[in-house]
Amino acid sequence: MHAELALLNNCLVVGAVLFGLGLVGFLSRRNMLIMFLSAEMMLQGASLSFAAWGRFHNDFGGQTLVLFIIAVAAAEAAIALALVLTLFALRGRLDIAAWHDLREAHLPPPLIDEEGEQVEAAPPRPRPRLSPAGLPPPLPPDMEHRLRL
Amino acid sequence: MAHVFELKTLLVLIPALPLAGAAITAVLGRRVLGRHAHLPVVCAIILSFLAAVALVFQMEGSLAGHKTANGATATYEEIVRLWSWLSVPQAMNAAADAGQTPPGWGQLKIEIALRADPLTAAMLAIVTCISALVAVYSIGYMHGDPGYARFFSYIGLFVFSMTMLVSASNFLLLYVFWELVGLCSYLLIGFWYERPAAAAAGKKAFLVNRIGDVGFALGVFLIWTLYGTLDFHDTTVDGQLVNMGVLGATRLSNPDLFIGGGVATAVCLLLFLGACGKSAQFPLHVWLPDAMEGPTPVSALIHAATMVTAGVYMVARCMPLFAASLDAQQVVSAIGGITALLGAIIALTQTDLKRILAYSTISHLGYMFVALGTGTVLGVVGGMFHLMTHAFFKALLFLGAGSVMHAAGGVIDIRRLGGLRRLLPITYLTFLVGCLAIAGVPPLAGFWSKDTILLALWERSRGAGEAGLFDILLASTLFGVLLIDFYTFRPFFRVFHGPERLPEEAGGDAQESPPVMTVPLVLLALGAATVGAYFEWTHGFAHFLAATPSLDYLARHFPQVEHVAELSAIQWKLGSTGTILTMLGILLCSAIYFTGDERRAERVAQAMNVIGLYTLSFGKFFLDEVYLLLVVWPLWLLARLAAWLDDYVIDGLVNLCGLTTVLCGAVLRPIQNGLVQFYALLMAIGVAALLMIFLM
Repeated sequence: MHAELALLNNCLVVGAVLFGLGLVGFLSRRNMLIMFLSAEMMLQGASLSFAAWGRFHNDFGGQTLVLFIIAVAAAEAAIALALVLTLFALRGRLDIAAWHDLREAHLPPPLIDEEGEQVEAAPPRPRPRLSPAGLPPPLPPDMEHRLRL
Repeated sequence: MAHVFELKTLLVLIPALPLAGAAITAVLGRRVLGRHAHLPVVCAIILSFLAAVALVFQMEGSLAGHKTANGATATYEEIVRLWSWLSVPQAMNAAADAGQTPPGWGQLKIEIALRADPLTAAMLAIVTCISALVAVYSIGYMHGDPGYARFFSYIGLFVFSMTMLVSASNFLLLYVFWELVGLCSYLLIGFWYERPAAAAAGKKAFLVNRIGDVGFALGVFLIWTLYGTLDFHDTTVDGQLVNMGVLGATRLSNPDLFIGGGVATAVCLLLFLGACGKSAQFPLHVWLPDAMEGPTPVSALIHAATMVTAGVYMVARCMPLFAASLDAQQVVSAIGGITALLGAIIALTQTDLKRILAYSTISHLGYMFVALGTGTVLGVVGGMFHLMTHAFFKALLFLGAGSVMHAAGGVIDIRRLGGLRRLLPITYLTFLVGCLAIAGVPPLAGFWSKDTILLALWERSRGAGEAGLFDILLASTLFGVLLIDFYTFRPFFRVFHGPERLPEEAGGDAQESPPVMTVPLVLLALGAATVGAYFEWTHGFAHFLAATPSLDYLARHFPQVEHVAELSAIQWKLGSTGTILTMLGILLCSAIYFTGDERRAERVAQAMNVIGLYTLSFGKFFLDEVYLLLVVWPLWLLARLAAWLDDYVIDGLVNLCGLTTVLCGAVLRPIQNGLVQFYALLMAIGVAALLMIFLM
């Protein structure tokens, strides 16, 4: 019994360390790939705790949850990497600080590392345009006389 | 089919038909009905008139049946309950010391109940008859007006409200329809709302009426606290009395059940204040002359013949309450007398034909109140009789004035008209009948009703202790007879006699109005000529009204005159005095105005002005100016002050609240810096804080 408790204890400590490292990494590193990896680390810290508790209570629920987390993390990785790739293509850099469009209008833009890797940004892609609701679509030029009627 | 002519059905049909007509016109309106927008309303009002006539005959029949049964004067009262509007079982706790409150005391149970008694039936017949004629006349008068459909739906709504007002059997319902006729009046005065004068007149009428209505509402509240019910009638279930009405049979059989003293005077005066507003009596009469901005048929129907008599009807209906307070009766009579003289004097010098008629209406309403204030059966019958005859000849005069306006291109200033008798022969003759009737030339209607009023005044002046007031009123009424001649025949001679004058607005030639307008004129003239004599000789009106329970109560408990022979002797004397005065007045007036000689009239005016009478009369006793100074300007200043407070104090406080939010926002705004990691940090701190709170 004593050994089990010690095991749980150790596992929880390791899990907490993993989570804490991941959190610090997520908050302090500005490279989007590193941030993503940090997030994965936080997930693994939590997973380890689940597995440890599952063993301690002799219950498969913990391990089941871990399996789910791994599956979700895989799916998330696919999406996150795709996002990171797109963001990189648009700004030409991996620095997360290059994305600050949601700030209040009058605030100064954050400092961005000028050194570091940079590639040519992709030209902005045209977004699809819909005709505004409630207005008639523009008439072809040869029928514009109708507007004056 | 027979049940259509049952009394209860008729009583419901009379208001329901105009309402249906008004609704149809309002819904279908101009788009569907077009030029025929008048059809539903006019048909409904005519049917409603026929129903009212049928109602009167039914009641007459059943009264005759009663009379043979037991010989004594039978009263007639029928209540038709439609549905219950609201019911609060114990709205007011019985007073602790009373111990024996009457059954039903304090139960707020408002039923939509209509009553049929002779007073109501007479009012219904008068209202629907005049309304039907005026509605037909309006077809011609309003022809081509852009608001044609709107006009007729208002008229239908008005007839519905007015018929409901006179058939309501409950003070609250009476109040509701009292307000509704006020609303119709407002809508119709401001019918041509693009004209600033019309809009202002509508507003003025509405506001002045509100002052009276406050009194009426307070009176109703006081009745509720005193009598514990608002119903007029008794309610019985299986022969057991469950609610003793204010004017119900139980109370009427025992005068002790009426509350007397100062409270009774307060109730009566508050109710009378309401009547003053609606019926344009002295302090509150200022709205009626301005109400002539509305279309002329409206002036004829609402502001001369029917709606303004609502106050008279209300006082007549509440006569048992007034019987409990002699002071209130004297006030009613005195105010009536003052108004009668005031209106007559102002009418002498006005130059707008419709305004002259409006002041004459005010004056005649004053006579009705003088009669009601005597508090006797004869007085009430006289007042109601005058109400009926006045409805005929005043509607006739107004419609005649409308016909003149129609021909003269909308001009109604008598200084710009003259010698129209050849151009407008039918209007001329009917207007002459109206003038003779209003002046009280013997065989015509006005003579008989005025005679009854004089008789009632004489009867009351015989009473102990009050001879002074009623003697003065008798004298002033006789003097008023002289004034009536002047103010009716002056415009008559100016407009129809003398050199022919037509304003340029008439477009060169004036034509007699179309038959749809002249036929109602002729019918009204026939009515104005015959209705008084018919009812006086047959004694039909007095006998019919005497069967009203509340008037029967007056007759039983306040018998005034024992000697019928003496009364009929004095009636001859009063009648002949009145006639001589009338003839004298007409002669004098024609001597001054018949030829249309301006200088003669001018000299009379100057002679009158020696004591400032002409200026006073022409300036309407400057009452409008006095009100402006005493009421309007102080209120305006108060409003400016309130507006300033609103702009700078209240708005300042509100803006301060807004500013606080803005400042808080400015402080917190830098947090929103757009950096993902900063948000994540805040989130982590938040989670940590929550964990601290919940786990420790």
